[in-house]
Amino acid sequence: MANLIEKLFSSPIFTWWNSATFGTRLYTSRKGVKVGEDKEGNIYYREKDGKRRWVIYKNGPIEASRVPAEWHGWLHYTVDTPPSEQPLPTKSWEKDHVPNLTGTAGAYVPPGSQRAGGQRAASSSDYEAWKP
Amino acid sequence: MMLQDKDRIFTNLYGHQDWRLKAAMKRGDWDGTKDILAKGREWIIEEMKASGLRGRGGAGFPTGLKWSFMPKQSDGRPSYLVVNADEGEPGTCKDRDLMRHDPHKLIEGCLIAGFAMNAVAAYIYIRGEFVREAEVLDAAIEEARAKGFLGKNACGSGYDFDVFVHRGAGAYICGEETALIESLEGKKGQPRLKPPFPANVGVWGCPTTVNNVESIAVAPTILRRGASWFSGLGRPNNTGTKVFCISGHVNKPCNVEEEMGIPLKELIEKHAGGVRGGWDNLLAIIPGGSSVPLLPKSICDTVLMDFDSLREVQSGLGTAAVIVMDKSTDVVKAIARLSAFYKHESCGQCTPCREGTGWMWRVMERLVKGEAEKSEIDMLLDVSKQIEGHTICALGDAAAWPIQGLMRHFRGEVEARIDAYHAKAAAE
Amino acid sequence: MPKLTIDGQEVEVAPGTTVLQACEEVGVEIPRFCYHERLSIAGNCRMCLVDMERSPKPIASCAMPVGEGMVIHTNTERVKKAREGVMEFLLINHPLDCPICDQGGECDLQDQAMAFGRSGNRYHENKRAVEDKYMGPLVETAMTRCIHCQRCVRFTEEVGGVEDMGALWRGEHTEITTYLDKVIESELSGNVIDLCPVGALTSKPYSFTARSWELKKTESVDVMDAVGSNIRVDARGNAVMRILPRLHEDVNEEWISDTTRFAYDGLKLRRLDTPYVKKGKSLEEAAWGDAFAAIKKKLKDVKGSEIAAVIGDLADMESMVALKDLLGGLGSKRIECRQDGTALEAGVRASYIMNTGIAGIEEADFLLLVGTNPRFEAPLVNARIRKATRKNGLKVANIGSAEDLTYKVDEFGDDATLLKKVLGGRHELSKALKAAAKPMIIVGQGALRRADGAQVLKAAHDIAEKYCVKEGWNGFNVLHTAAARVGGLDLGLTAKGGIEAIKADAEAGKLKVVFLLGADEFDTSALKDTFVVYLGTHGDEGVKNADVILPGAAYTEKSGTYVNTEGRVQRTAKAVFAPGDAREDWTILRALADVLEVKLGYNNLGELRARLVKLAPLAATLDTLVPAEWADFGAEGDVAEGGFGPAIGNFYLTNPVLRASKIMAECVEIREGNAEEATGTHG
Repeated sequence: MANLIEKLFSSPIFTWWNSATFGTRLYTSRKGVKVGEDKEGNIYYREKDGKRRWVIYKNGPIEASRVPAEWHGWLHYTVDTPPSEQPLPTKSWEKDHVPNLTGTAGAYVPPGSQRAGGQRAASSSDYEAWKP
Repeated sequence: MMLQDKDRIFTNLYGHQDWRLKAAMKRGDWDGTKDILAKGREWIIEEMKASGLRGRGGAGFPTGLKWSFMPKQSDGRPSYLVVNADEGEPGTCKDRDLMRHDPHKLIEGCLIAGFAMNAVAAYIYIRGEFVREAEVLDAAIEEARAKGFLGKNACGSGYDFDVFVHRGAGAYICGEETALIESLEGKKGQPRLKPPFPANVGVWGCPTTVNNVESIAVAPTILRRGASWFSGLGRPNNTGTKVFCISGHVNKPCNVEEEMGIPLKELIEKHAGGVRGGWDNLLAIIPGGSSVPLLPKSICDTVLMDFDSLREVQSGLGTAAVIVMDKSTDVVKAIARLSAFYKHESCGQCTPCREGTGWMWRVMERLVKGEAEKSEIDMLLDVSKQIEGHTICALGDAAAWPIQGLMRHFRGEVEARIDAYHAKAAAE
Repeated sequence: MPKLTIDGQEVEVAPGTTVLQACEEVGVEIPRFCYHERLSIAGNCRMCLVDMERSPKPIASCAMPVGEGMVIHTNTERVKKAREGVMEFLLINHPLDCPICDQGGECDLQDQAMAFGRSGNRYHENKRAVEDKYMGPLVETAMTRCIHCQRCVRFTEEVGGVEDMGALWRGEHTEITTYLDKVIESELSGNVIDLCPVGALTSKPYSFTARSWELKKTESVDVMDAVGSNIRVDARGNAVMRILPRLHEDVNEEWISDTTRFAYDGLKLRRLDTPYVKKGKSLEEAAWGDAFAAIKKKLKDVKGSEIAAVIGDLADMESMVALKDLLGGLGSKRIECRQDGTALEAGVRASYIMNTGIAGIEEADFLLLVGTNPRFEAPLVNARIRKATRKNGLKVANIGSAEDLTYKVDEFGDDATLLKKVLGGRHELSKALKAAAKPMIIVGQGALRRADGAQVLKAAHDIAEKYCVKEGWNGFNVLHTAAARVGGLDLGLTAKGGIEAIKADAEAGKLKVVFLLGADEFDTSALKDTFVVYLGTHGDEGVKNADVILPGAAYTEKSGTYVNTEGRVQRTAKAVFAPGDAREDWTILRALADVLEVKLGYNNLGELRARLVKLAPLAATLDTLVPAEWADFGAEGDVAEGGFGPAIGNFYLTNPVLRASKIMAECVEIREGNAEEATGTHG
């Protein structure tokens, strides 16, 4: 039983968060025009008349923060020319795009946090126990 | 019209004669003291009231009335007379001369006043700096004791009374009566709250009257010559004679005994040899010691020297210490110096005076240079109003008045200075 | 009764009332800084100025006695201006450092500036800075903030009875200081912190540890001495951050002693937070079950007569009841609450309480101290005596060693036989006692701890009966030093022979098991070979020879009933949880009873309290004084010559909490030890 539920919850037919849904794939194959691909391999599409723009993520979950900044601009109609045609200027100090890691093992923890292996700061509730 | 010599009380004000008992008796002191005492307490107090004598220490409270506040019947506590000889008001130097040259007047006055208020002893709280005067007083008291004028059965009246001299340690505030009492008790000289008034709770918790040296010293003469003689001098409600201390830019600074109500101009011209460089060279006069507002020349021309006349022109007689300033004076700086004095002498007990005097002084120092905004003049006046009347003793008032007087009469001068400063700053 | 009008309301007040008090009676708030109900009137802050009709100047309402027909206005423009003026003067030289000031949030100046001040600043000169002063390990100073209200000066002089504080210089240079950086040598010095309306005097141990608004306030009762001062325990998280006094007119007024106020750091040090069981020679941490099992194993072949218990000075009545019932279930009645060996017996309640009451001291006109130093044994009783000597002219005489009690005491020497002479009737003291309308006698534990304590008690009883017990007045008083003692005596927890017999029997091997309920004030080396179960809070004397240690809760960590020296029943409240595995004492005993298969008959605090009231009916009378019936007590016999010993050792070290406290250790060092080193640049 549990196995079945697990299967259902990872199947693209019943879920929308593991990968693009069946409907999206169908729509993409019918109307989608591939515009480009980012470094991670996510593929960007638009309708022929350019009205709609969307992304099909490569493997893994549907997670909006996986879209890098340059494609984000195009996807949200900030720019019309996709970065595949006219890449954004990059500075030497810019880091590669990283999706939001909250909730994953790679999430940020401040230094000193016990999760980062740090020591807890002294608190006024501390007491000194008697030891024989 | 000048006071006639026959009406003078302090005939040895200038020390031309000896101060000792023999000479003093020749001048009429200790004459018939026993008879005066024999007439009784009521008579003395009534006579003092009738004479219209007002306290010579500055506030001008009727002396006879003050004496009458003392309990008629003792409740077991002794009563005391305290003589305020802590003369520290800038410009004032009358009590010093009285004690130096005529100590027996004061000592006899102590006996009579003490008798009138049923006191067991009198303490003369003398300013610490008056070293010689304290020595003179001590010697004079010894003389009087030796003669039997003081001590047991004083003057043969059947009344026991003694006088002691206590030397202060040099604080202006100890001239305030309750601070004086604290200091006399050996504590820090800080004014006490009133009520209770000293007449109820004074030295060591006993009924006490504090009087100025001059008020006490004139009492024997008044009683000898009669209240009507004294009240016949001066103007109604401002009767008698008064020792004026004239200092500053006059040709002959002096102490002089004059009738109350003498015109200020006449006082200066006749006794002090006139203002340096002539009357027209006069800028302003502080008529009653540093704590009263100053008067510009226009008022000085006509004003009479007594309590009520000076009050009408928003100043006061105070201790009648006339400080004359001619046109060479930087009047703003002069008042700033007085502010510094009050800042220095504030006892620090109550808030408005402790904090306010320092504030006013600092603003005044800037005004001397003109380094201020014109709006600060009004602020300064507002601050002085916040001090005035909100303190335990009158030192707060005394600190506020000179500044108020300055701004009342010389505001233009201060504003001009501010303008000049700003103009100079802009030019640079 | 003078009648006056305040803001249009007519009010009749007692003669001698001040205008400010009259205003308060009709609910008109007058701002003030220097005025304090319990101190003399200074009238120097000038914040309380109000308008009086027919007076040219506004008057200081705190100092003006009411008069018939006075008309007072507190809401005129002139009053408003006067208040704003004074407020402005106070603030021009006061640093506006509220965000870093410990008083922030509970500052009179801050509050009144909001209510009565004016916004904006007209003062453009430099502000005054004042050097901070050293006042000892308890009071932190930031003298730039001082507004010279002189409350602290008046308090130390009038209530504390030491002239250690004063004002130096004058005018704007006035500085409040202890002369030459001296420590305030008063046991009540901490109260100046509460009195200070600004942040000039703050608590040194508490400084910068918490803000007042983040503290959880719990109203409780103190156990550092037998006065039962009412306190407020301020806690953040699970830590007691500070202890403040709470108003109780009949007990502590609004003062508390320094031990009460500053002992709290001892609650976090040397704490027992897990059970221990002795294995071989050393104590080892154990689970509760193992500790209980160890006790059970030991008790298996021990008869009831071989079991005893000793109650400590800080024990609450609930745990005493639980222990009594547990021992009863094990077949023993040998439970002793007098670990100091005092001669007091349970039974006649009048024999072991302060019958006059603490507030009653103010009614008395003659007081005889016998073998007691109230200044250290109960600083607040001493403060009350001092108040009575100042206010009512109470005369104090002393039989015992001559100490500085901060008021005038007629010393009659340190000799117990004097009591018999006084009883004889020809002694000077007999005459004084006879002449007095309401004479009091206070007997200290120093007198009752002697070998002939019972005879001393009898002599004191006879003196009291002869002179001090009258219609409506019982002048016989016993001053206790331990918070738990009266409660223990109320429960009748005394054993024949007392603590000495227990020690002797233990050494002789007649006692096999001894329970110690926080008993740390006697030498436990006698229990070396006995199986000792110690239930307490701190690693102190009691754990030295313990075989099983059960960690209990301190007075801030449980709701417990205590009876103070005057017989007043009060309750502490739980402010924080006990640390680690420690539990409230009665629950430990209840759980142990289950393991030992003893039925106690109560499962919660309510049921336990019902049992407590059954055993000691007076425990139901919370915060009331029930007059105790006068009867005979003590033991006939001669009183030996010689003086009385001190009732307590060092004032700052009278119980395990205080001994654990670092602050108290510092106090001891400075008050007794090398004071010279500590002054000067310290602080």
